[in-house]
Amino acid sequence: MTMKIDFEQIDAYRWRIPARGGMNVPGLVFASAPMLEAISSDRSPEQVVNVAKLPGIVGHSIAMPDIHWGYGFPIGGVAAFDERDGVLSPGGVGYDINCGVRLLRSTIDREEAARRLEPLAVELYQAIPSGVGSQGRLRLSAKELDRVLERGAPWCVETGHGRPEDLAVLEEHGCMQRADPGRVSQRAKDRGAPQLGSLGSGNHFAELAYVDEIFDPVAAEAFGLREGAVTLMIHSGSRGLGHQICDDALHRMLKASHEYGIELPDRQLCAAPLSSPEARDYFAAMACAINFAFANRQMMTHFAREAMVRHFGRSDEALGLEVVYDVCHNIAKWETHEVDGVARRLCVHRKGATRAFGPGHPDVPERYRSIGQPVLVPGDMGRYSYVLVGTERAMRETFGSSCHGAGRKMSRMRAKKSARGRQIFAELRERGIVLQAQSKRTVAEEIPEAYKDVAEVVDVMHGAGIAKKVVKLVPLAVVKG
Amino acid sequence: MAFRLLGSALEGALRVNDRSHRIGSVGHRQVEHTADLALELWGPDETAVLREGARALVAILTERAAVQPTAKRRVEIEALDGADRLVRWLNEILYLATVEGFVVCDAELELDLERWDGGLTAELVGQAHAADLLRTEIKSATYHDLALEHRADGVFARVVMDV
Repeated sequence: MTMKIDFEQIDAYRWRIPARGGMNVPGLVFASAPMLEAISSDRSPEQVVNVAKLPGIVGHSIAMPDIHWGYGFPIGGVAAFDERDGVLSPGGVGYDINCGVRLLRSTIDREEAARRLEPLAVELYQAIPSGVGSQGRLRLSAKELDRVLERGAPWCVETGHGRPEDLAVLEEHGCMQRADPGRVSQRAKDRGAPQLGSLGSGNHFAELAYVDEIFDPVAAEAFGLREGAVTLMIHSGSRGLGHQICDDALHRMLKASHEYGIELPDRQLCAAPLSSPEARDYFAAMACAINFAFANRQMMTHFAREAMVRHFGRSDEALGLEVVYDVCHNIAKWETHEVDGVARRLCVHRKGATRAFGPGHPDVPERYRSIGQPVLVPGDMGRYSYVLVGTERAMRETFGSSCHGAGRKMSRMRAKKSARGRQIFAELRERGIVLQAQSKRTVAEEIPEAYKDVAEVVDVMHGAGIAKKVVKLVPLAVVKG
Repeated sequence: MAFRLLGSALEGALRVNDRSHRIGSVGHRQVEHTADLALELWGPDETAVLREGARALVAILTERAAVQPTAKRRVEIEALDGADRLVRWLNEILYLATVEGFVVCDAELELDLERWDGGLTAELVGQAHAADLLRTEIKSATYHDLALEHRADGVFARVVMDV
């Protein structure tokens, strides 16, 4: 049963849900008119309304154009909470804490990669552990795991799994502050410890692509993205460690919500006041999962570099495998934003959304500061992905946030039905894409048409002025779990 | 402990097709959910629903592989109420399978609703060191759209899994 939601059109890309029936703020959905119709067919608009009912929410309960029905928060949701009367919600971060995307550029030309695509894909597939319950190659002691949780990607660089310059272009420099391994349960540590440096399954992937089209030559130049050059994108998160930290927090927050008198439109939205011990403990544990995910993507970057060096017989430097940027999708962070002309410290929840800070912001890496933050938007495995750049307008309207991907439009069940009897590997090969995957079922669930066309999603962000298109990437080889 | 649930969290959340079961029968089915996977469960009482939930979860995790009843485990779970108990129970089964490699094929459950913690004790039967049976990754059973209702003809539940 879908709740009837009334949308008021603001312009071609913006729709307001007026604050009614317990909503503390209005909803704001970014979508084209046809997309809004599709969005309204599931229960994600109802979730936008539910988030607007949480205490201390500021501005709008925001939904990006890749919004789809999640659990608690919609996937593609952004909500900022005031430090005095706002809340922290583990459901607003999600199970895969700091699921995110990293992009590397290279000096390899598309033609060179295309000539040796099959063995190159196999080399990457063998280098990056993937699949259900996949485990990394590291065996960490309890002490070492705690260091990973405290330090994140810098731990990898310190132990020889990356370059110091990688860290300059990671969100938070790959290390979230206030991480306290003492707030992470043994279960979470047991679940995550063997998985550092592994992709996992589902929608996670490693993908070689090439720069197909440049929309903004100045930003593309700043990001080091040259037409025809090969890129590598890695999409993964904090694996079982993050899932367990979320589970543990939900159990505690359910009780806390009751004790603090927070009314829950959906139990998955359980939350605690930002100043409460429950929220502080969750933040410290969440920061550990964020760091684990940064380290996870850093380890896979290292494995991929080794594989490419082996394959091409050229040095890492000669291949120019440099990190462009690394964005987080599922996260809650303390940020300062201007609200009605006043700078306020807010806890911004991004659930299936990325940060998209505009030019001049001190948190944008120095080398990109005059341009804005790179925003990495993966599409499905058969079409294309985009790199966008954050804008000043995003700072004013979305707490510096943008879309995070294409967004599912088919359930996994429906995708599997649609894939039945088809040769998905061969279909992709005809499009010039080599797929290496552990599970045919995962491939069936992830068929390109299971997702919205990411071009339509980024066109909304671009048209709305939230994030501007820089380049389009077309896949060459995809590694999946 | 009761929770104040607003809006449609429970109202209409449970949409079990009443024609798909008979009074007193036990069963489950998967329901479409855009990003995830939802399960509807029914049985004559709560323990039957929990048992069926474990079976359904393991069938998804292993893609219906044969699990040998060669080992036993005992678990105890605290919960706030019936719906919370279902989520925690499923997450326990998930944890045992994915972290410890203990894949459940059956369970004897005992509910002690008088206990302060809404306690559930279960004797699990399954296969140890069986992580290689796992084919699907499920992150967690969630509280979203969660429902567990006692009706005249049995207990009905709905739970969404994050996959």
